[in-house]
Amino acid sequence: MMGQTTDLFLSMPMPDGWLHFILFVLFGLHLLFVLLMLGTAMMSLIFYLQNKLSSDGVGLSWNRSFIKPHLGLKSIAVVLGVGPLLVMQIIYSYGFYTTTGLYSYSWLAIIPLLIVAFLLIELFEHRMTTGTLLPLTAGVLGLGALLTVPAIFTGVMSLMERPGDWAVFGAHKMGLSELYIPHWLFRYLHVLGAAIVFGAAFHLFVTAKGDQDKKVRMRCWILGGILFQVVVGVPLLISVSSIFNWQVLTAVTVGTAAAMIAAWMMFSGYDSKLGTTCNLLWILPVIFVAMLAARQFLQDSTMIVQNNQVIALQRAQDKDFAQFKSQALKIYQSKLNTIYDNGATIYDGSCSSCHGTTGLGDGPSGRRLLIKPEVLAAVHANRKYLRKLVLEGVEGTGMPYFRMFDGNKIDDLLAEMQSRFAIFSKASSGPKGDKAAAKSIWANTCVTCHGENGAVTEFGSTLHPIPPDLRYYSLSPERSMEIITNGYPGTVMQPYRQLPLATRQGLVDLVASLCDMSAQN
Amino acid sequence: MNFPLLHIPWLGDGMTIALDAVLHVVISHGVAIGLTIMVALFQTLHATGKGRFWGDIAHSLLLPIVIITTSVGAVTGVGIWFITGALAPGGIGSLIHLFFWPWFIEWLAFTTEVIILLIYYYNWDRLAESKPYTLMLLGWGYVVAALISAVLISGILGFMLTPDGWPWNGTFVQAYFNPTFLPQCILRIAAGIALGAMFAIGWLGWRYHGADKNRGQALRLCGLVLLIAGIVTGASAVIYFSRVPETFLTHWRYAVATSKLAQFTWLLPLVNAVAVLFIVLTAVTAMLRLRRTSMFLFIPTIILCLGMVTEFERVREFVRGPYLLPGYMFANQIKLEQWVAARKEGRSMLKSMKWIAANDVQAPAAVAGKALFDANCGACHTLDGLNSISQRLRGRTLEGVNAITAITQQLAPFMPPFTGTDQERLSMSTYLYYYANKDVVLRPRLMKEGK
Repeated sequence: MMGQTTDLFLSMPMPDGWLHFILFVLFGLHLLFVLLMLGTAMMSLIFYLQNKLSSDGVGLSWNRSFIKPHLGLKSIAVVLGVGPLLVMQIIYSYGFYTTTGLYSYSWLAIIPLLIVAFLLIELFEHRMTTGTLLPLTAGVLGLGALLTVPAIFTGVMSLMERPGDWAVFGAHKMGLSELYIPHWLFRYLHVLGAAIVFGAAFHLFVTAKGDQDKKVRMRCWILGGILFQVVVGVPLLISVSSIFNWQVLTAVTVGTAAAMIAAWMMFSGYDSKLGTTCNLLWILPVIFVAMLAARQFLQDSTMIVQNNQVIALQRAQDKDFAQFKSQALKIYQSKLNTIYDNGATIYDGSCSSCHGTTGLGDGPSGRRLLIKPEVLAAVHANRKYLRKLVLEGVEGTGMPYFRMFDGNKIDDLLAEMQSRFAIFSKASSGPKGDKAAAKSIWANTCVTCHGENGAVTEFGSTLHPIPPDLRYYSLSPERSMEIITNGYPGTVMQPYRQLPLATRQGLVDLVASLCDMSAQN
Repeated sequence: MNFPLLHIPWLGDGMTIALDAVLHVVISHGVAIGLTIMVALFQTLHATGKGRFWGDIAHSLLLPIVIITTSVGAVTGVGIWFITGALAPGGIGSLIHLFFWPWFIEWLAFTTEVIILLIYYYNWDRLAESKPYTLMLLGWGYVVAALISAVLISGILGFMLTPDGWPWNGTFVQAYFNPTFLPQCILRIAAGIALGAMFAIGWLGWRYHGADKNRGQALRLCGLVLLIAGIVTGASAVIYFSRVPETFLTHWRYAVATSKLAQFTWLLPLVNAVAVLFIVLTAVTAMLRLRRTSMFLFIPTIILCLGMVTEFERVREFVRGPYLLPGYMFANQIKLEQWVAARKEGRSMLKSMKWIAANDVQAPAAVAGKALFDANCGACHTLDGLNSISQRLRGRTLEGVNAITAITQQLAPFMPPFTGTDQERLSMSTYLYYYANKDVVLRPRLMKEGK
């Protein structure tokens, strides 16, 4: 609902608190499936390599059932990504669009990377048991493409949370800003570590069911993953210490404590199956939610402040623009009512600003041109030739080309010019003048450019603009006389006012006789 | 809001979005809706005892459907968000604020759709023989979710062409339930089913390994579906285009073909007629169970179908004219009010631009000229690629270029006006004049070199 505001960016679908809550939940779900998918793909490729390099690996058939859920996990991960993407663009419009805009091509690269990754990992799964080269290549390339995506996402988020660095980042265009490389690197590794922990936990419950060996293997992976998270997590925390607050500290403490409990459970490896499983199912969500909350608190500490500043500016601008709204809508309405599907509208819209509504070459824009627009009311030309002029424009002048109108519209326009200016009818003839004198001037001077019969010479065609082809183009005697006498300003056509009037009249007549209105050139 | 501007060089923004969007439309309509409806239909025939082979056909189609829709279809759909967000944040951001709820609900439908599809796929072997009716319910449940998602999107797409009274009243109901909503829904769903039937015919002809008799039965069914869906598509397209304002629709030939080809006014109607003829022929040969003929007809027909999808989407985009949001924002993401303000009060455009990429290669005047070109024209024109501004301005005089930039709105009705001061317009024109003529060598040209 627009209500009183005119700027759509200021209209919110629901209260901020709800939006933040929804974003937190949806992003959490998305991230969870991303981690499961990443963990599955990474471990599956590692198992495959182990199997190929030594006899001490998991069997291929088990690896196939291990990678099988990947198809579903990645589908859900992608789908669940759309929701937070939507809410993100509502809550943090400014930060989101600015940073994705600054990341430009890297951000866009996510799409082809994901398609390639998904298709290759699918190929890896289906060819795992046949041959080596194809599944190995597909697996390595697919996983490589897949692992690039969280790198880009974490890069964008790191930038988004640092509004102070945007200007610098924008000025240096592209490339990872040195400003937060350490932070970004540890953050990225932390995502990969989490993918191992949660991925292994997923398979502990799903694919390793009832198989003691596999269970032990998964437990080792969980333990290793947690230890890795500690090693990476400490420098990651140091890298954000400047914007620490008590909320972040609380969330991180809770998460770490829960992670330690989980690690101890994996390490002690006591085997009351039910106990371990149930406890782990309780403890993992605690770790996940706590760490996610820490991330959210960090993000909000910079972004909300910055976002509010932008919205305040936006409101001020909106108030200012309100005064122009009614006029903007008036113009919009009149544009909607103007349909360029008939000669009159096209002439008035596209031609008259230079050539004038009455074709006198006196339109408001035309007056500013150094080479004045032609007086259409005086033109009498061959249809085909004129059509080409309209379609191609005239280089060396301001005359644009009009190929953006299809054949029918050009026909309508030409018909309109005929009805307004009789442009395809023969020009009336003026006084005959001194034919002999005119002939000799023509042969000695004019032919240099215009050619014997009016066809532009080789020299003439080096000019800018090229003179018209007088075999197909003529003017009224008055206009012709005007040009011969005073020249065509801005072009090479110079004034010949020193010639006697009779000679000039003869030239006018001679030039008119060259033009063939109906030639099928 | 002022965001960093990104324009794709050479390919241009429009073509970049189009490449992704057309791929997405073909998969989301043709595979996720059309072909999956065929699968649900085949499985239903199996469940109701019409023969085991129906189930086999459905099952063998399912894996490619799942892989293509989840790996390419879904990702290119998200891709539309990514690309529009990077290329037109002001536009897509405004649309999201306006249509948050339909998009959010559509997302829920989409999520449901994918989850049902995965359940359908992972449980097929378990249910096909023992509980065929449960599987049938899953299949049609999926179809319902997919259709809901298609219907929800139609309102937003229709708004961009026929905003109804929204620009004046700003009410959501008018914006969303606009005149082209319903015909577009039917058009998209019917076209999707027709495409799905086409894909199934191709697959039956080229890939099916069962008995000829069974193939013939399946072909007949697909041909029938193709014919009916095709007729509905055609009828709804007629209604749809009758409700689209003629203002920009009249330029559809120019939108679809190159400007040179658009001079031949019979060309596109002829190509479309040929495409329709091929679709009808394919449907009829399939109904007559002619395997070989339909096999070979399938190839040109599917190419023509993809062409028609592209043509439809191109026309639909073009008919928006110079607006991203009708009556609200120009295609270059400049709001109508901002332009009026600049025109009436001579407000500077450059001063309102936060993100002008500095560089140490160009003179400050050229940087300003380029920035103004990007902000005003870059959404549709590239410098040297598709719809190249150089090609259009080459050889024109400087004051000629400046005259053209002054009257873009009248010159071609689908161009937005320049926003900025007269001085800024001259900066831009100067930049473009030098850019367009940078390769023009001042030397006598010979006749034989042509113009």
